[in-house]
Amino acid sequence: MDLSILLGAWVAAGLTLFIFSFLYKDNFFFKLGEHLYIGVSVGYSITLLIFKFMRPKWFTPLFGEHQWILLIPTLLGILILTRFIPRLSWPSRLTFAFIFGFGAGLTIPRSISGYILQQIQGTVIPMITKEGTQISYTFRDFSNLLVFIGVLTVLIYFFFSVEHKGAINILSRIGILFLMISFGASFGYTAMARMSLLFGRCYDLTLFSSKRYYYATPILLCLIILCFLIHHVLSKKHSV
Amino acid sequence: MRKIANILLNLDRRIIFLLIAAAVLVPLLRPFNLPGISISQPVKGVYDKIESLAPGDVLFISMDFDPTAKPELYPMGISILRHAFSKDLRVICMTLWAPGVGMAEEVMSKVAREYHKEYGKDYAFLGWMPGQLTVIIGLGQDLKKTFPKDFYGNKTDRLQIFENINSLRDIDYMVDLAAGDPGIETWYLYGKEKYGFELGGGCTAVIAPGLYPFLQTGQINGLIGGMRGAAEYETLLNRKDKATVGMDVLSTTHFLIIGLVILSNIFYLITRKGKTVR
Repeated sequence: MDLSILLGAWVAAGLTLFIFSFLYKDNFFFKLGEHLYIGVSVGYSITLLIFKFMRPKWFTPLFGEHQWILLIPTLLGILILTRFIPRLSWPSRLTFAFIFGFGAGLTIPRSISGYILQQIQGTVIPMITKEGTQISYTFRDFSNLLVFIGVLTVLIYFFFSVEHKGAINILSRIGILFLMISFGASFGYTAMARMSLLFGRCYDLTLFSSKRYYYATPILLCLIILCFLIHHVLSKKHSV
Repeated sequence: MRKIANILLNLDRRIIFLLIAAAVLVPLLRPFNLPGISISQPVKGVYDKIESLAPGDVLFISMDFDPTAKPELYPMGISILRHAFSKDLRVICMTLWAPGVGMAEEVMSKVAREYHKEYGKDYAFLGWMPGQLTVIIGLGQDLKKTFPKDFYGNKTDRLQIFENINSLRDIDYMVDLAAGDPGIETWYLYGKEKYGFELGGGCTAVIAPGLYPFLQTGQINGLIGGMRGAAEYETLLNRKDKATVGMDVLSTTHFLIIGLVILSNIFYLITRKGKTVR
């Protein structure tokens, strides 16, 4: 087997066990794994940013091909750095004004269309099926009715301009039911997602337990347990 | 009885961790092979759309996830690419997530090798570009200008796959595999709505409930939700893989969680019995 794959398997198994060791208690291995994760992911992103974006999209065109138009975004970028000197930080507002203006202009119309108009359109749907002169009632129509009632009652629940009494109270309570079902579904999906992640790590750990990977998982697990035992004995002696 | 209930309610959490670990490891080492996986309509929506494409049509995939979402989205990527390559579609792939570049490239090249596909002719990997929504808008205006070079440094206007593909308007279908933001919603708002291509999605289970309203309104034509969705897709392709193996694990852990929730509620009621509420 390629040495890099073998080394990768040992590192992956070790770091997974380091992170899992937190389930026992907060410890040095967990902290090491946590800090490595943050450091490596930030380092990876920065490297990618420099070599896959800044060099081909900014450095080479500006200094190699003399595309002077790039001086404008360069200047806007440099202005942000003035935030480090509080007395001279005011020019950074120019950049932020550009970012906010551009962002708002781009986002607001799209959001209104995608999140509001299209969603309202999706709520105003037929609740009976009509083909020619025949009228029928299908399960889809029932679903559409549920969507309509759900949207309406949840909106009433969040309508605070009138006191929730009488009919409004009944409707807002129905709205709570819809909200609870929605939270339950979200929680169920979240539990499924977390278990999927656990499965992913356990799958790799069992894979790395094989002879092919020189029993990486059991060896590392034993070493970690041994370290815990030694630490436990030493700290007990120290306290005595 | 109340004493036992009290003890169990205050059980050391590490015992529950061990139970969960056992519920994961036992089916992993000795699979139960629980009966068939039923196919849901949202997953079938993505499958049917890819199935309806003709050889040579362009499938655009954005793998917007990082290694933390690997167990859910990696099998999805594999299945979709297998489906696309088996139908001789041209596949263009990219990512909006910097930490996911290596993994996206790995999925792409792994499946391409499996189907003996040629880089630059049958598939291409554009890599990553910062800017999120501005990247999508750029792709909608001019793909080759936004990505003058692919991930490997090849000029995109010289690659055969990009012949007649100048922007997102020229693609036949797009699937976004997303673990969060930027993801399916971003591609919908700044891509599909503006440039009018058909969009389907695959996502982690955590964000799936938030995307169902988009499915219901037809803003996306299909949704593969979590590992369960990936297993459904594997079943549709008749190629059972890692996600299908994970279904046994999900079933046992879910049973355990449901059991623990019911038990803890019963114990809570037992301990509360006889106490007056002030």
